[in-house]
Amino acid sequence: MLKSLTLAAALLMGVSTASLAETPKSGGTLNFVAPYGSSFGTLDIHTSPSTQDEFPAKAIHRSLYQWNSTDSKPELELATEVTASPDNKVFTYKLRENAVFHNGKPFTADDVIYSYERIANPKNAFPGARYFSNLVGIEAFNKGEAEHIAGLKKIDDHTVEISYSDPAEPGFDLMNTNAAIYPTGAGEDPNFITHPIGLGPFEFVENIPGSKVVVKKFDKYYKEGQPYLDKINIVLLGDASARDVAFRNKEIDVSVLGPTQYVAYQADDALKDHILEVAEVYTRHVGFDTTKAPFDKKEVRQAFNHAINADLIIEKLVKNKAYRATGWLPISSAAYDKDAKPYSYDVALAKKMLADAGYPDGIDVAITATQNESWGLTIVEAIIPMLAEAGIRATAKPVEASVLAEVVPAGDFQAYMWSNLSGPSDYAVMKCFYSKTPRSSCAYQQMSDPAFDKLFEEAGAETDPAKKTDLLRQANDIVQEDAPSWFFNYNKAVMAYQPWLHGLQANATELAIQNYEELWIDDTAPDSRK
Amino acid sequence: MLRFTIRRLFQVIPTIIAVAMLIFIIFSVIPGSFASSLMSDGKTASDPEMIARLNEQFGLDKPVYERFGTYLVGLAKLDLGTSFRTREPVTKVINDRIWASLKLAIAAMVLAVVIGVPLGFIAALKPGSLLDSITMIGAVSGLSLPQFWLGLLLMYLFALILGWLPSFGYGGGDFKYLILPAITLGVTPLALLARTTRAGVLEIMNEDFIRTAQSKGMSNSRMIRWHLTRNVMVLVVTTIGLQFGSMMGQAVVIEKLFAWPGIGSLLVDSVSIRDIPVVQGTILVIVLWFLLINTFVDIIYAAIDPRIKQT
Amino acid sequence: MRGFNLNLWLGGFLTVLVIAGALFAPLIASFDPVFDANLMNSELPPDATFWFGTDAQGRDVFSRVLYGAQVSLTVGIVSQIINSVIGLSLGISAAYWGGWWDDLVNGLTNVMLAIPSLIFALAIMAILGPGLPSLLIALGLTNWSWTCRIARSSTLSLKAQNYVQAAQTLGYSDTRIMATQLLPNMVGPILVISTLGIGSAVLAEAALSFLGLGISPPFPSWGNMLTDARELIVIAPWAAVFPGLAIFVTVLGFNLLGDGLRDMLDPHMRTRSE
Repeated sequence: MLKSLTLAAALLMGVSTASLAETPKSGGTLNFVAPYGSSFGTLDIHTSPSTQDEFPAKAIHRSLYQWNSTDSKPELELATEVTASPDNKVFTYKLRENAVFHNGKPFTADDVIYSYERIANPKNAFPGARYFSNLVGIEAFNKGEAEHIAGLKKIDDHTVEISYSDPAEPGFDLMNTNAAIYPTGAGEDPNFITHPIGLGPFEFVENIPGSKVVVKKFDKYYKEGQPYLDKINIVLLGDASARDVAFRNKEIDVSVLGPTQYVAYQADDALKDHILEVAEVYTRHVGFDTTKAPFDKKEVRQAFNHAINADLIIEKLVKNKAYRATGWLPISSAAYDKDAKPYSYDVALAKKMLADAGYPDGIDVAITATQNESWGLTIVEAIIPMLAEAGIRATAKPVEASVLAEVVPAGDFQAYMWSNLSGPSDYAVMKCFYSKTPRSSCAYQQMSDPAFDKLFEEAGAETDPAKKTDLLRQANDIVQEDAPSWFFNYNKAVMAYQPWLHGLQANATELAIQNYEELWIDDTAPDSRK
Repeated sequence: MLRFTIRRLFQVIPTIIAVAMLIFIIFSVIPGSFASSLMSDGKTASDPEMIARLNEQFGLDKPVYERFGTYLVGLAKLDLGTSFRTREPVTKVINDRIWASLKLAIAAMVLAVVIGVPLGFIAALKPGSLLDSITMIGAVSGLSLPQFWLGLLLMYLFALILGWLPSFGYGGGDFKYLILPAITLGVTPLALLARTTRAGVLEIMNEDFIRTAQSKGMSNSRMIRWHLTRNVMVLVVTTIGLQFGSMMGQAVVIEKLFAWPGIGSLLVDSVSIRDIPVVQGTILVIVLWFLLINTFVDIIYAAIDPRIKQT
Repeated sequence: MRGFNLNLWLGGFLTVLVIAGALFAPLIASFDPVFDANLMNSELPPDATFWFGTDAQGRDVFSRVLYGAQVSLTVGIVSQIINSVIGLSLGISAAYWGGWWDDLVNGLTNVMLAIPSLIFALAIMAILGPGLPSLLIALGLTNWSWTCRIARSSTLSLKAQNYVQAAQTLGYSDTRIMATQLLPNMVGPILVISTLGIGSAVLAEAALSFLGLGISPPFPSWGNMLTDARELIVIAPWAAVFPGLAIFVTVLGFNLLGDGLRDMLDPHMRTRSE
């Protein structure tokens, strides 16, 4: 824990030194960018797992937990206190008594139960239902035999008890924006979808579909003195080159950067001092189907790892906007093994390993990939000539993102390139390499290693956090050795911001998602922001 | 005239039904699904239970012919279905976006007409002159530029280097946000209009009735005013109609580049996340727009030149 | 306007230039467009070795533009051939046989005209997945309605003439009459419209690439080069300028050639309205 703390602190340096020097100032308008597409899907965040929809939702809504970017862990947000049973199955929350919804209604235990039952309700088919799949009494609720979930219990107006059937880490699930707390009955109100009401620091003002969502300061927000800003325009700008122009033209206050822009901004004296970087919990990789030849042989998978000069690609093509991957778990995770060495770049060794595995003439492989520049065809293009040297004749099989997400869980691939979430819960992430996890869930490569399974099962039963982390670290080392993927890199998320903006957080789970209440702008901002 | 109008309007119906059937078939065999698109950013692990529930909720677990029946019954009641993503009626989703598209199309068309027609006219008055050659090569050049490339160049020049105009967005409807996308979209119809006008004027100048008018001693200016304008008008109106009608489709790339909240960018987004009811609805609206504009042009055409009605 | 046909000569020159570039790419280009990717050389400005500079992957932009011509011209020409075959066979047969077949073809043409071809192509690409074969099909299936209309109207007017009837009385088969009597009489206008169509297809390839549904890397097409390079415009503008220019010059060449052919074949033919 200490290690990740110092890392997060180091990454925060750029901002915190600047923001500590001055005290936050109230007022002003912020033009925040939602960069992942040219529209918002919905204002009913319970229905959506997409990051893009979180941009407005994060301003309007709050969840029981919130990610703490400084300590790299979920912490209580809408509750002041939690007591866990010794077996980590029952959690009792003391809820905040000073929180009110935008319509003036005070926040109570009923709202928590209402919201969670709405999300879990199978008829709704909401993505957050899986957060509650382990609750006591969920089967009866899903079958329609029980009207309520037995594991969600109101003790009094400001106390809620949540009971799980197995040991649980509720913070990682309940911190998600799509597990937000709505006022009781809101989901059934037809006006809610066009005019959402929440507990968040900002009130909804208007939505211009395809263009922007406007929110304004909520005066009765439960944190003293916050939010600082009067208004936020959350604008849609999906095209990276257009975003670049808009940012340089000072029309927007933040911009998420791709590799090429990262270099350009670092080289520009006017821009280079206002770049925020963080090691995000995404692992970019080429996953192999380990159930079929040739990737059923560990030597072949390891040879693939040895055949690519990943450092060179990261330096030249990804422009150092990534951290070299060793195994699966990323740098910011507690169970990351900092002593582990990545696979060496060794073409001769790769050739030898292929020959030893029974492929002296090399292998042919089709890599299914999308057009993404950081984890798609751009990278596949770069590894094709390198693989060719080692006798791996690779071809690119381009697909759209929605097709990738269909063929990979279905096992309809030889190899695929993707960027998958590899945190913040190490245990949940490692489950994807457990041999009993079905491919259709997240065990896409179908790794099967008895030593790993044993460690993973032990970690599941372990209640001591330090020991659990240690077990998961060993499990991660086995994943690296077994090589179900070519481990490419962990994303370094980079956001450029205008010099007048302060209070940004280095959020490792998704840098672009900010706690807006902590942001403020100083006097140097242009008139359009005042 | 009224009978002609009604007859032309009724001719639209079979085409729109055929289009509706065609796009239903196309989008029922498309790979990927809305449920899978939710997992495409790698953030959410695939969840077979949720996929099954979503498919059940959207009726995607039913056989194709049954879905097709539901779709047709809905269409007959002018119900385009419910968006998978927003869970709102498709008509509302489209209504939120279509006004921005109309605004852009009208602005681009006005630009094209105001510049293109006089340009073509001037070029035709002195065929073969340097001015004519420059105008025509310029027009062909305008037809030869990749749209997003032109848009990007304009964006860099006018927004970044000169700082005159905002580079993107809708800005709540401010006029200055409209200028760059409208210019980018207007270049193609502008070039076509200049060419059509020039060709029309040249063609008519050669025709017999003008020579007759000249031999009868009608004054040169009156002749140009009357015969030319009326006949060129038919040609120009046709081009305007065709261009205006297809503009919604042409704007797709430009709307995406400039983050313009029209139905073109809605369509591209909806295709990529497989929000099929919105895709079908948007294409139907674009097609209906094209057909109605063309019908309208035919009616104007008939009003200008009554001989058309007979054919 | 009479005498020297500037359009024809300038268009012809540009077209020949581009076709020669594509045909002789392996001889002219000093680098392989895919495998000569040396990341140590990424984003170098134009110099004596790399005439058009290098891209983000350290590949020679000049070589890629040349090889890209092969792809872009293949897309333009092959998709136009498909379009012409579909348009001609439907148009001629509809007018020749008439009846329900004519009604059906007319209806289909109206449907095709009403759906913008870019959107239709987008849909087909989404079904087939990105890549060259899909692109040829997508662009080849979506732009034949004008050819069909021209073929149909020419056939109607030719049918009324005596020599078609003469051929029928001689007992020639329908297909033989269509191929030998009707087809040769409409070569001119079809050639014009196909030439213009090649230009549109090259532009459509670029647009589809921008929308994420173009030709699959690593093999270069001008559309995917331009799409990849547009983010480099500040730091390595050459990577985006040259493929953009290549598209422009090619489309301009085909458009001018088409105009020139029209002027040459039939000075009275009306400007096509797209």
